[in-house]
Amino acid sequence: MKTKTWIIILAGVFLLGLIGTLIVFFRPTENKIANLYVDGVCIRSIDLSSVTEPYEFTVETDHGSNTVRVEQGRIAVISADCADGTCIRTGWIGERANPIVCLPHRLVIRIESDVVGDVDAVAR
Amino acid sequence: MKRGLAICMGFLSLLLLFTGCRKKEVSKTATIFAMDTVMEFTVYGNSEIMPQLEATVREMENRLSVTVDGSEVAVWNRGGSETFSPDTADLVARALEYCRRTDGALDITVCPLMRAWGFTTETYRVPSAEELAELLEKVDYRHIKADGTTFCKSAGTEIDLGAVAKGELGNRLIRMLRESGVKSALLNLGGNVVALGNRPDGAAWRIAIEDPGKEGYAGVLQVTDSAVVTSGGYERNFTQNGVVYHHLLDPKTGLPASSGLLSVTVVGADGMLCDAMSTACFVMGLEKSIEQWKTYRDFEAVFLTEAGDIYLTEGLESSFTAVDRYADAKVTVIRA
Repeated sequence: MKTKTWIIILAGVFLLGLIGTLIVFFRPTENKIANLYVDGVCIRSIDLSSVTEPYEFTVETDHGSNTVRVEQGRIAVISADCADGTCIRTGWIGERANPIVCLPHRLVIRIESDVVGDVDAVAR
Repeated sequence: MKRGLAICMGFLSLLLLFTGCRKKEVSKTATIFAMDTVMEFTVYGNSEIMPQLEATVREMENRLSVTVDGSEVAVWNRGGSETFSPDTADLVARALEYCRRTDGALDITVCPLMRAWGFTTETYRVPSAEELAELLEKVDYRHIKADGTTFCKSAGTEIDLGAVAKGELGNRLIRMLRESGVKSALLNLGGNVVALGNRPDGAAWRIAIEDPGKEGYAGVLQVTDSAVVTSGGYERNFTQNGVVYHHLLDPKTGLPASSGLLSVTVVGADGMLCDAMSTACFVMGLEKSIEQWKTYRDFEAVFLTEAGDIYLTEGLESSFTAVDRYADAKVTVIRA
C-alpha cells in the first residue's frame, strides 16, 4: 500500500480518537440514578435519565408499604401507609442533597449524580 | 517527514486510548436510623471506620435518649439515680452552661412541656393556660445542682438533651475520623450537617439552607471543617383551628417561640455549640442573638426573618449565596 493511504488511515483513526476524547470530557454528566434503601441496604437502583414511560411500583417491607412513581429525571412516593406521611409531602426529587425519607418504614430514596454545582447536603 | 508525521499521529492515537481513565476518590456512604432521624455518613478514603462510627451513634443513643428505656437520662428523669457516667456528666454540664449563657432561651428541662404539646409522641394537642402555668414551674435549668458527676434535681425536673446530643455526636465522630487519618467526610445527622475538611476535589463543601417555605433552598454556604445546624419552626409542627404550632417552645412562656424568625442557621467548629445556639437563637430572636454573637464570637449565623429578609454575621459574608426565592432578598451583614 502507498504511504499516502497509510497516512489517511492513521489520520482517520486519530480524528476519531480526538472526537471520542472530546465527547468523554465534555458530555454533561447527567447520570441520574435513584437508589432505594431499606434499613440502609440498597434494594433497587433506577436510572432516571433513561425513563421514557412513567411507571409505579410498591415497596413492601416489614414496616409497611410505600408506592413509588418514576418519571424521567424524577421520582416520588405517591402513597404510603406510614403514620406521618412525610415521604409523600417531600414530593418529587431530582437531586442528591434532598432525599425522600420515610422514617417509620426506614425507607430512603436518594439520587446519585455527579452534576457539578449540586449541593452536598441540606441543613434543616 | 511523512513517516515522522505518521509515527507521531500513531503515538497520539495510542495516548487517546487512555483518556477514559479519570481519577475518582473512593467514597463510602452509610445510612443509619437513630435518634429519631435518619443519618447519612459519606467518608472519603479510609472507610473501614464506618462500623465504629455506627457503634458510636448507637452507644450515644442508648445512653442519652429520653425514649430509650434504661438510658442514663431516662433513669435520671425517673429519679432512679443522681449520678451520670463521666461522658454524660460532661455533656450535661456543658449543656447547662449554654442554658446559663443564653439566659434560659435554651433550657434542657423543657421536657414536660414538650410532652404536654405531644411533640415527644406525635399526639399533638394545645395545652390550656392553667396546664402550662403548672408545668412551667417544673421547667428551669437552675433547678439542677451539679457537683462533679452528681446532678441533684427538684421534684418533677426532667431533661431532654435533644438540642445538644446530635451536636456532640458530630464532634465525636469528627474526632474519630481525624484520628483514623480521614481528610474528607460529610456527616448529615438528620439535617444537622458536619463537614470534615474539603470536598475530595479540594473545593469547599456546599451546604444548602432549606427554604422555610419548603420550595427549594434559601441559600448555599461554602464551608470547610464546620458544623452547619439549622433550627426552624417549619421542621416539626401541627395546625389546629388554622393556627400553626411548632416544636421550638419558649421555656419562659411554654408556647411556641415567636421571635420574628423563620429559621436560624449556626455555623462553627464546635457542633454541640452550633446545635445549642441554633435552638437558643431561634427562641431569643435576632436582637439578642446578635448580642450573643458580639459577646462570644464563637459562632457565625444566618437568620431568615418573617419579613423575608436575610441577616448574616460578617464571618459568612463571602461564603453565603442567596438562591431560589431568596435570590433577590434583602441581605444585611451584621458587623462587630
